[in-house]
Amino acid sequence: MGMTKKYWKGLEELKETPAFIKSKDQEFPNQQAIEEFLGDDSLNESSTTRRDFLKFLGFSVAAATIASCEAPVTKAVPYVVKPENVTPGMPTWYASTYYDGCSYTSIKVKTREGRPIFISGNKDFGFTNGGVNPQIIASVLGLYDSERLAEPTIDGTVKSWSSVDSAVSSAIKSAKKVVLLSNTIISPSLNRAIAEMELSLNAQSPAKFEHIQYDAVSYAAMREANLKNWGAAIIPSYDFSRAKTIVSIDADFLATWLLPTEFAGQYGQTRNPDNKWMSKHFHFESVMSVSGSNADGRGMIKPSEQASVLAYLIKGMGGSTSVSSNLNPGAEIIAARALKALKLSKKESLVVCGANNVGLQLLTNKLNNILRAYGTTIDANNSIQLYKSEDGKVQKFVSSVIAGKGPDVLLVLGANPVYSLPNGAEFGKALKKVKTRVSFASHMDETASLCNYTCSDHHALEAWNDYTAKPSEYAIAQPTIRPLHNTASALESILVWSGKATRGGKDSAVAYDYIKNTFQGLFPLGDFAFTTHNSCADLSVTPAALTFQDAAISSLPQAGDLEVVFYQKTAIGTGLNAGNPWLQEMPDPMTKVTWDNYITMNPLDMEKGGFVTTYDQEHGLNLATVTVNGTSLTLPVYPLPGQTLNTVGVALGYGRGANGEKIGKAAYQTKEYGGYELSENGNSKPIGANAFPCVAIENGTYQYYGSGKLSKVDGTYIIAATQIHHTVMGRHSIVRETTLDIFSNKDKEAYNPSFTLQRLNKEGHHEDAPLAEFDLWDAHPVEKIGHRWGMTIDLSSCIGCGSCLIACQSENNVPVVGKDEVRRGREMHWLRIDRYFASDEEATVGLRKDKETFSYDKAELAAENPKVVHMPMMCHHCNHAPCETVCPVLATTHSNEGLNQMTYNRCIGTRYCANNCPYKVRRFNWFNYPSYKKFTEVNPAQDDLGRMVLNPDVTVRSRGVMEKCSFCVQRIQSTKLVAKKELRPIIDGEFTTACSDSCPTNAIIVGDWNDVNSKIYSSSNEKRSYQALEEVGIKPNMWYKVKVRNEEIALLDDLQVVKKKAHHGEKKAHH
Amino acid sequence: MQKEAVIREPLILGHKTYHDITEDVCRPIEDKAPKMWYILFGIALIIGLYGVGCILYLLGTGVGVWGLNKTIGWAWDITNFVWWVGIGHAGTLISAVLLLFRQKWRMAINRSAEAMTIFAVFMAGLFPLIHMGRLWVGYWVLPLPNQFGSLWVNFNSPLLWDVFAISTYLSVSVVFWYIGLIPDFATIRDRAKKPLSKKMYSILSFGWSGRAKNWNRFEMVSLVLAGLATPLVFSVHSIVSFDFATSIVPGWHTTIFPPYFVAGAVFSGFAMVQTLLLIMRKAMSLEAYIHTKHIEYMNIVIMVTGSIVGTAYITELFISWYSGVEYEAYAFLNRATGPYWWAYWSMMTCNVLSPQLMWFRKLRRSLLFTFFISIIVNIGMWFERYVIIVTSLHRDYLPSAWSMHYPSHIDIGVYIGTIGLFFVFFLLFARFFPVLALNEVKTILKGSGQSYKESPDYHKHH
Repeated sequence: MGMTKKYWKGLEELKETPAFIKSKDQEFPNQQAIEEFLGDDSLNESSTTRRDFLKFLGFSVAAATIASCEAPVTKAVPYVVKPENVTPGMPTWYASTYYDGCSYTSIKVKTREGRPIFISGNKDFGFTNGGVNPQIIASVLGLYDSERLAEPTIDGTVKSWSSVDSAVSSAIKSAKKVVLLSNTIISPSLNRAIAEMELSLNAQSPAKFEHIQYDAVSYAAMREANLKNWGAAIIPSYDFSRAKTIVSIDADFLATWLLPTEFAGQYGQTRNPDNKWMSKHFHFESVMSVSGSNADGRGMIKPSEQASVLAYLIKGMGGSTSVSSNLNPGAEIIAARALKALKLSKKESLVVCGANNVGLQLLTNKLNNILRAYGTTIDANNSIQLYKSEDGKVQKFVSSVIAGKGPDVLLVLGANPVYSLPNGAEFGKALKKVKTRVSFASHMDETASLCNYTCSDHHALEAWNDYTAKPSEYAIAQPTIRPLHNTASALESILVWSGKATRGGKDSAVAYDYIKNTFQGLFPLGDFAFTTHNSCADLSVTPAALTFQDAAISSLPQAGDLEVVFYQKTAIGTGLNAGNPWLQEMPDPMTKVTWDNYITMNPLDMEKGGFVTTYDQEHGLNLATVTVNGTSLTLPVYPLPGQTLNTVGVALGYGRGANGEKIGKAAYQTKEYGGYELSENGNSKPIGANAFPCVAIENGTYQYYGSGKLSKVDGTYIIAATQIHHTVMGRHSIVRETTLDIFSNKDKEAYNPSFTLQRLNKEGHHEDAPLAEFDLWDAHPVEKIGHRWGMTIDLSSCIGCGSCLIACQSENNVPVVGKDEVRRGREMHWLRIDRYFASDEEATVGLRKDKETFSYDKAELAAENPKVVHMPMMCHHCNHAPCETVCPVLATTHSNEGLNQMTYNRCIGTRYCANNCPYKVRRFNWFNYPSYKKFTEVNPAQDDLGRMVLNPDVTVRSRGVMEKCSFCVQRIQSTKLVAKKELRPIIDGEFTTACSDSCPTNAIIVGDWNDVNSKIYSSSNEKRSYQALEEVGIKPNMWYKVKVRNEEIALLDDLQVVKKKAHHGEKKAHH
Repeated sequence: MQKEAVIREPLILGHKTYHDITEDVCRPIEDKAPKMWYILFGIALIIGLYGVGCILYLLGTGVGVWGLNKTIGWAWDITNFVWWVGIGHAGTLISAVLLLFRQKWRMAINRSAEAMTIFAVFMAGLFPLIHMGRLWVGYWVLPLPNQFGSLWVNFNSPLLWDVFAISTYLSVSVVFWYIGLIPDFATIRDRAKKPLSKKMYSILSFGWSGRAKNWNRFEMVSLVLAGLATPLVFSVHSIVSFDFATSIVPGWHTTIFPPYFVAGAVFSGFAMVQTLLLIMRKAMSLEAYIHTKHIEYMNIVIMVTGSIVGTAYITELFISWYSGVEYEAYAFLNRATGPYWWAYWSMMTCNVLSPQLMWFRKLRRSLLFTFFISIIVNIGMWFERYVIIVTSLHRDYLPSAWSMHYPSHIDIGVYIGTIGLFFVFFLLFARFFPVLALNEVKTILKGSGQSYKESPDYHKHH
C-alpha cells in the first residue's frame, strides 16, 4: 500500500522535467569541478588570488594586533666599524687612578659598550691596594650628571673654545697679577704646566703669577707642626698595618681623615684575631665616628680635652709637657688602658690626631717621637702629597680680594671657595672686583656662577691625568670614554693659555702628549704604554735625614660651655659630590640618616634640654639653632649616643647651592609628589645648612672646633633614617662578640655556642640535639653537587664604611627613591649595614648582662658611650628559604647552586615573601621608579644621561615586583662562561660580588662552598663562624664571624667563661 | 479542659496569615522605595565611589600610595581582607549549619545573612587583588595551562590555598543563596503587574511552578548544598589563618590559629548580622519575624564564640611565655606593651570583655544594647587582625628593620569605600530581593488552629 505513494519535493520532481532530472544528482547546482574552477584563467586576472587573500588576511590580523600593542621606542645604533677592544656584551676594564682633591686610590673602571658603569679598587697596583670609599665608587654617576657644564661659557652664555681662549689669553697677557687658586695638585704634569706658566708670566713681570693651593678642609697644621719639629712641611706616611697600638685623637682615619683608602686596608690587616697579633685601637673623640665605633676603647672627650689626652700619654711615657693632663673620669680609664698598651708596643705604636691645630699636632709628634714610631709606623721619607692647603696664604689672598686689591685674573681650579671659605659669602660678593674670573668647575657651582668664564674640565673618567700621591708612586689616570660634552682638560687649557699648545678639540692629544712627556722625563727608561696599562710606576725616593726638634706649644683648643665639632660624613665629605643621589641616599654609618644634615647630641643632654630622643617617619626631631663665631645654623637635633656631653657636632658639606646654583638635580630638597621645595628667596631649597661659615681662623689655621651656644627652636623636622631602632635587644643569635683573650684561650662554646633543641629520646626523656637534626623539609640537592655559592662576613674587620652598599647600588641598578620614601622605610638598597649600639642591659652588643633582670624597655636605649657593631645585611640565600615556600606563583625559587633567585617577570607582588623574610632584606617596587614623577629629581634612571650608568647585565625592575640581593648572579654567570670557554673549573677567588670587591678591609669572602679548598669553605668552618638566626632553621648560605675586640672586659669573662662553665657543670650533675 | 504549655516563644509574633507574610515581604519590592532608602543609597554610593576612586589611583600609581614599608608588607589591606572574610562567615553558618541542626529560627534571618556573606566576600576578595603589585598578571595564581613551559603555581603557598578556598566559598555561597531565592522570586513574579518586572522575576525564578516535585527537589538540593557548605564554613577561615600560621613571623607562627580564626569569624559575622538586621527589621517593618528571640539566640552565639576567642588570646600569651622562644615571647610582650598597646587593648576590650556582658539576660534581650555591642565587636575584630598583622611584622627578628606603620589616606579611603560598596549592594538587595525566605518562613507559621486557640472565641467555648 505504502509503495504506491509517491512523495515529491516540488512540482519539477512530480513532473520530472528534464532540467530536474539533470540536476537531480548534483548536490549544488551549477557546481564546477575544482580543477575546472582553479583552471579558470579569468581568476588569475583578478588582483586578489587566494594566496594573496590569505596573505592580506594574515597581514591585517598581525597589523591590527601589533597596532593595538604599545611598541616601545628603542634606540639602538649598531657599530658600523667595530671599535677595538669593544665587544658588545663584554665589559672592558681600564686601570686608572682616582683623585678628587680629597680621596685618592688606584681604580679599575668597567666599561660596557663604551660606557663606564662601575668603579672598583685596583688591588694589583698602588699603595692603597685598591682601597675605595663610597665617594669613589659613586663618582661614576657624576660622569652622567645632566647638569654638568657641557660647553665653555662667557658671562653665562655658551661660547666656542676659541673665543674663550683668546679672551682669557689676552686677559692673562695684559694682567698685572694672575692667581691660580686650586685644590692640592698632585699631578706632576699639571704642576709642570703651572710651573711653566709661572715661569713665562713671571718673565713678563716678577711675581705676576701666584699659585695658591686651597683645600676645603685644611691639614695645614700638620704640615706646620712637622716644619717646626722636623724642618720640613710634610705629612708623613702612616702605616697602620704595623701598629700594635693605635691611638687616634679625633682622626676618623677609616672614613674621612687624610687617606682612608690606604688606612682602612692597613687597619683591616691588623683586625683579624686569627693572625699572630691584633692591634689595640683607642679612640678619643666627641662625635662618634666610623673609626671611633670600631675602637677597642673609646674615650668621650671634648675638643678642649684633646691636649690633655696627649699630655697624659706623653707624661705616662716619661716625657714632659706643660700642658695639663686632667681628663674626665671616663676618658681617663681609656687613656690609662691606652698608656698600658703603648708601653707594651712602644715603637710599634701610632698616634694620630685629626685636629687642624698646630699645638695639638706638635704634641702628637712629640708623643710619636717618644714612642719611636718614626721609622716603623711613620715614614717621613715617603710623605703624603695630598692636602697642601696653605691657610695663611689663602687668607691673605681672600682678604686682598675683599679689599679690592686682588689680582686681575683669577683662575679657580678644583676649588669652590665661595662655598667652603668661612667668609665665602663676603668673598663671593667681592669677587666682582677681580676683572677676569675663570673657573674650571664641572658645574655652575657657588664660585663658577660668579666667574665670567667657565672652562669646564673633563670628568675624571674622560681625561688623561697623572698623579703622585706619594713620592714612591707615579700613577696614570686614563680616559674610559670619549668626552660626553664639549669640555677640555684643565691641563690643556693652562697649556693653551700659556702658549705652549693649541686647542685640540674633542679628541685632543695635548694632555696625553704632555703627560707622556712628563713620564719620559721622570722615567727615561720607562714604558709608558705598560704604565698606562697598570696605571702606576715607582718613583725612587731619596731618604732625607730629618731630626726632631721640640717646639713650643701654643694655641690649643679652648674649653667652652658648649663645644661644637665640625666633622665630615663618609658619604658627603666636604660637599664636593652633593649632587650625587647615591651618596645623598647612603645612610650615614653612625646615624643611618639620609639626605640630611643635623646637630648630633648625646641623648642624655637632649633629655636635659627637653629635646625628643626618638623619631620615626611621622615624628620629627626638635630643631635647634647653634651659634658659633657669630654664625647660626638651624638644624634638627639628632640623638647620637657616644657624643661627649656638652658637645655637639655638625657635618660640613651641606647647604650646597643655596642661591639656586646648578650643582646637580639631586642636590635639593624635593616635595612629596616631586618637584623642589622652595626657600624664601624662591630658589630650590638646599639639603641641610652650610657649616663652613662657622669655621674660625686661629693663628693662621682653620679651626674645626669652636665654642658656641645652642637654643631650642619651635617646631620639629622629619628626618629620613633607614634604621630607627638602635639596639639589638640582647638577641645573641644576631650579633656575637667576644674579647681577644677569650677567643684565643677558650673553646668555641664560650663565645660562639652552637644551638641545640630538645627532643624526646627512645626512653621518653628530653635530650639536647644539634639543630641540624630538626628539619621539616627535604634538603636542596646543593651540597657537594656542582656549585654552592656562599659568603662570610667578618664582623671583626667590617668597619661599616658603606663602600659595599654603594658598590651594590652601582652594580645592580638599585633605584634612588629620595628622602620622602626613605622616611617611609622604603629605601631600595639590596645591601644595608645594620648598626647596633649596646644598651646598658648588655655586656656587649647582643649579650645580656643578666638574663633574670633583663629589661626590654631599658634594652631599647643605647648606653651613654656604647659599643658598636656594624653588620652588613643582605639576602642570605637560605637553603630552606621562607620566602620561597610562600610565593603563590613560584617567582622566587632556589637554584641548584644554592642561590635564592628572584624572577621579576613572574612576580605578581603579593609581598608575602618580604613579610616572611626574617632578615627583612627584600625590597618592593612601590612605584615605577624609572618614570614616576616623584623620582624625577632623584633617580638617575629618569634622566637620559643618567640612564647610561645602568648595568646592562641587570634588569631595571618595574613597578610592583619584589627585588633583593642576587649574589651578583650576573657576575657568577660571566665567571662560569669564561671558565667554560677555557675548559677549566672556576678558580677560587675568580668570582667576586660587588660588595666583596669593594670592601677595603676584605671583610667579605665569597666563593664556591662545595669547593673544599676554597677560602669561603674554610672561612665558614672557622671557630668564629656563625649564622645569624640559625635557630629559625632556614639554613642560610651566609656566615658571620664573631666580632673580636682586643680588650679585657671582666663582665664578658664572667658571662662567656665562668657562668657557662657553671651552667655546663650543672647539666652534667643533672644527668 | 485541655491545657497546653507554651515551651518556646513563637518565632513569628502576632496573628500572621500566609498571605500576610507574602504581603510583608513583597510590599517593599512592589512599592516605591521610601525616601530613606534613596538617602542611604546615595550616601553609600558616594562613599563607595570614593573608594573606587582610591582604588583606581592605587592601581594607576602603585602600592606605594598605601602606608606600607620594607618591614610591613601587609597592613590595612590584609587586615580588611580577613575582616571581611570573617564577616562573610555568618551567612553560611546560619543557612547551612543551622539547617542541618534544624534550627528553625534561622529562617527569618538566613536570606539577609547570606546576602551579607556574599557581599562581604566580594569586598574581601577585592583586597588580595588590589594588594598585588601587578594586578594585571594576577591570573597567574590560577593553575592555568600556559605557554611559559612548565611554569605552574606553588602548591606550597598558603596564598594559593586562599585562592581556592575563597573562590570555592564564594561560588557555593552564591549557589546556595540563589537556590533559596527561586521560590520567592516565583512568588514575586506571580504578583508582578508591570511587564518588565514580571519578565525579570520570571527569568530569575527559573520557571518555578510550585509543584510538589519542585518543592521536593528544592528540599533535596538545599540539604545537599548545606552538606557541602558546612565544611567550607570551617575551611575558609582555617585556610585564611594558614597565611599567618605557616609563616615564620613571630606572632603569626601559631598552631592555634585555625580554630581561633573560625571562632573569630563567626563572632564578627553574627555581629554584622545583628547590626544589619536591627536596622532592617525596623526599616522594613519585619518586627514580627525578627524579634527579641532571634536577637537573643544570636547574642548567645556571639557570647560563646567571643569566649572562644578570648580563650585563644590568653592561650597565645601563655604559650609565648611557655615556649621559651625569645622572639615569640617578645612579640606578645610587644603587642601588649609596645608602641601598638592601644590596638591590643582595644581588641581585648571589644572582643573579650564586651561579649561577656551577654551573660545578663536583660542585656542580651535589649535591642539597643545589642546594636551597640555588635558594632563594638566588629571594631574589636578589625583591631584583632590589625594587631596580628601589623604588630607582629613591625618588630620581628632583626631590630635594625623594626618600623612603624602609619596608614595613608588611600588606606583609609579604600577601607571606608568597601564599607560603602557593601551597603550599596545590601541596599539594592533589600530593594529588589525578598529579604526574608518567605516561602520557608511560611512553614513555621503556626496553623490557623493556633490562632483560633488564642482567639477570644476559643476561650469563650472552653
